[in-house]
Amino acid sequence: MRYFLSSILKVIPVLLMISFIVFFLVRLTGDPVSLMLPETATDQQREDLRQSLGLNDPIYIQYFTYMADVIQGDFGESFRYNQPAIDIVLERLPASFTLAISSMIIATIIAVPAGIYSAIKRNTFADLIITGSSVLGKAMPNFWLGIMLILILAVQFSIFPVSGSGTIAHLVLPSITLGTAIAAEMTRLIRSSMLEVLGSEYIRTARSKGLRETIVVNKHALRNALIPVVTIMALQTATLIGGTLITETVFSWPGMGQLLVQAVNARDMAVVQAATFIIAILVILSNLTADLTYRFLDPRIKYED
Amino acid sequence: MKLKLSIFALMMMFFLVACNPDSSEVDTGDEESSGETAEDDELVIANGSDMVTFDIHDHNNTSTEAIHVNLFNYLVKADGNGGFVGDLAEEWENIDERTWKFQLREGVTFHNGEEFTADDVKFTLERVANDDTLLEHGNYNQIAEVNVINDYELEIITENPEPALLNRLSRLGSGMLPSDYIDEEGWDTFLEEPVGTGPYQFTEWVKDDRVVLEPYEDYFGEAPKWNKVTFRSIPEDSTRVSELLTGGVDIAANIPPEDWERIEGDDAVKLADSPSQRVMMLVLRTAENEVTGDPKVREAIDLAIDNEAIVENLYNGAATPTRTRVTPGNNGANEDLYGQSNYDPERAIELLEEAGYGDGLEISFDAPSGRYLKDRETAELIQAMLSEVGITVDLQFNEWSTFTDKYSSRSFGEMFMIAYGNSMFDAALALDRLTQAQNEGETDYINDEVEQLLTEAESNMNQEERVKQYQKAQELIAEDRPHIYLFQMDSVYGLQENVDFEPRLDEMFYVDDLSKN
Repeated sequence: MRYFLSSILKVIPVLLMISFIVFFLVRLTGDPVSLMLPETATDQQREDLRQSLGLNDPIYIQYFTYMADVIQGDFGESFRYNQPAIDIVLERLPASFTLAISSMIIATIIAVPAGIYSAIKRNTFADLIITGSSVLGKAMPNFWLGIMLILILAVQFSIFPVSGSGTIAHLVLPSITLGTAIAAEMTRLIRSSMLEVLGSEYIRTARSKGLRETIVVNKHALRNALIPVVTIMALQTATLIGGTLITETVFSWPGMGQLLVQAVNARDMAVVQAATFIIAILVILSNLTADLTYRFLDPRIKYED
Repeated sequence: MKLKLSIFALMMMFFLVACNPDSSEVDTGDEESSGETAEDDELVIANGSDMVTFDIHDHNNTSTEAIHVNLFNYLVKADGNGGFVGDLAEEWENIDERTWKFQLREGVTFHNGEEFTADDVKFTLERVANDDTLLEHGNYNQIAEVNVINDYELEIITENPEPALLNRLSRLGSGMLPSDYIDEEGWDTFLEEPVGTGPYQFTEWVKDDRVVLEPYEDYFGEAPKWNKVTFRSIPEDSTRVSELLTGGVDIAANIPPEDWERIEGDDAVKLADSPSQRVMMLVLRTAENEVTGDPKVREAIDLAIDNEAIVENLYNGAATPTRTRVTPGNNGANEDLYGQSNYDPERAIELLEEAGYGDGLEISFDAPSGRYLKDRETAELIQAMLSEVGITVDLQFNEWSTFTDKYSSRSFGEMFMIAYGNSMFDAALALDRLTQAQNEGETDYINDEVEQLLTEAESNMNQEERVKQYQKAQELIAEDRPHIYLFQMDSVYGLQENVDFEPRLDEMFYVDDLSKN
């Protein structure tokens, strides 16, 4: 419990730092007024708008005003939508979660059998194919894979809808796109973890007892091999969120990733800040969860440090 | 083991597909091959960006307005030839220089059943005229007040004589709002459940995904044509084109030249283009101490640029060379200067010699990068064309916000490139920036005759005379070249073969003007 509390406390300076960095970086990228008004706007119109948005105050004053509001849960208004930024971000979370979870399911469906199989058939042709594919899967850029999947499975064969949301069919292509890179990473992890476990004493014992190979692999080896995999996968949240930025844009999936891309393009500062804040919290939470899961799965790890 | 897992994996895939509640959207092989979308009485339009808001006064986004025109009505509509036809207003007259009287259509109701009256006009126009935090305020603060005479009669009083008032009232920001509904329910409710007088009413808005509209049965005009209209937001160009090719959408806006071949190569779809209000142009400093202060140098720059070649090679012909920014369809357009280009590199070399730059000269050139379609390539081509006649161009690309910083502070060098739109459809907005009050530090253009024409025309209530003043001013500007106009850009749409759609100059989608056969 004390460990848990101290972890939570450590989050505060991290969030402060993130807010500081994001606040200044967003402002370094340029003036939002230039994007909000057309070319024909007069200098006076630009100046008036800058004034009404509070962009004329010195930047440190803007930062303190902003932080004072954030502490009260107010992340400011979106320039683009004229609505509280935090509401807009939270509204998109379910869509992004759905995509993230289904990508994880797809990644697991691919990676668990592939990882186990390549570990069992170590150094065979099948192993070579699987490890080769996982390097390829990791190396393929998301946007390229997404566009290829659209061209083949949606345009050529009309199996899935091209883009959008609303039905489960809409979820398939973006999930595969996002899931592939994770599956690749996961396959390699499972393979190496399985290899380690398969070489250990108790597996030899199990085998010498005359247990069938499937029982040895499924019951004795896999369970132990998955412990490091589960925790490391929880640390992949950041990769997953990074992937949603591109995947959601390619498939016009209405989640937080697309929102963030659009907000950056439109210099919608309040939304960029709120979204980054939420992402930071998600990443921190998942790291914390990974930590706790690891300790839970392997009771030998002590809590007092 | 392996087998069991593969079976499980397969089952999961089937589950994912089978769970789809609307299986017609998944397996539409037959329908799609014939290039048809869902239903004949439904329409799906894909834009490159999401609608931004239902606050009609707080955006200046053309693709948002293209959706709003189906929900809201203006008082008057532009007829496309510089004139106006009534929409919510039946008649109007100019009582004196500053007073306009409007007679409203009777029996018009909002989507919530409330009746549309003069109070709603007062509420709508005074909101945007008085609230300086709204993005459209600058285009409406010329309105001093709106006087309600009775339910169907009102007067609009302007601060100064305002010949372009009808232009203002027939565009973005002039959709009529329900004053009682907003007073009672509050503005936030209106933004979530907007109510207008248009042929379609709001159903749902899934942000960054779609806006769905349904017909309003009590619409005062012709009965709405479509059972359901969906505006989708698909930011990625290649995805938007793929949606069109698979029949997922009936119309896709903003098709970039790279994708034209994909569309032209498929019999189920076609391209449609229309001139837009955007004109690409060069802005030059004309003060005497500048090299471009010499009219011969400016003329040489103009003659050295082959607009036809730029249009053909970079835009595949989807643009029109022009020597004015007031293009056809705009009030005050000088059509003699439209579709014209005066490429003559030999004469350009002679002019430079006459100006004393026979050995060449150097000018700086700022261009935005990534703001407009092919802006970077256009600037590079211009640089190459100018170097052919002996002008060395120091070309600098600017990311858009850097560009606007320089633009606002007027710190460009001799020349910069920009593409202006014109949401007012009037010469005033296109030429204002050349008046001496506004051009200081930018072009520093001085021509007393042009100055007089522009100043007089701005408040001249005699429309015929006003048009002539603007046309004359454009001729003089085309000779003096403080601005060198290059070409008017087209907007290009992809359509299903069975869709009839005439793209509009103002880029609006009046969905009842569209049809499928």
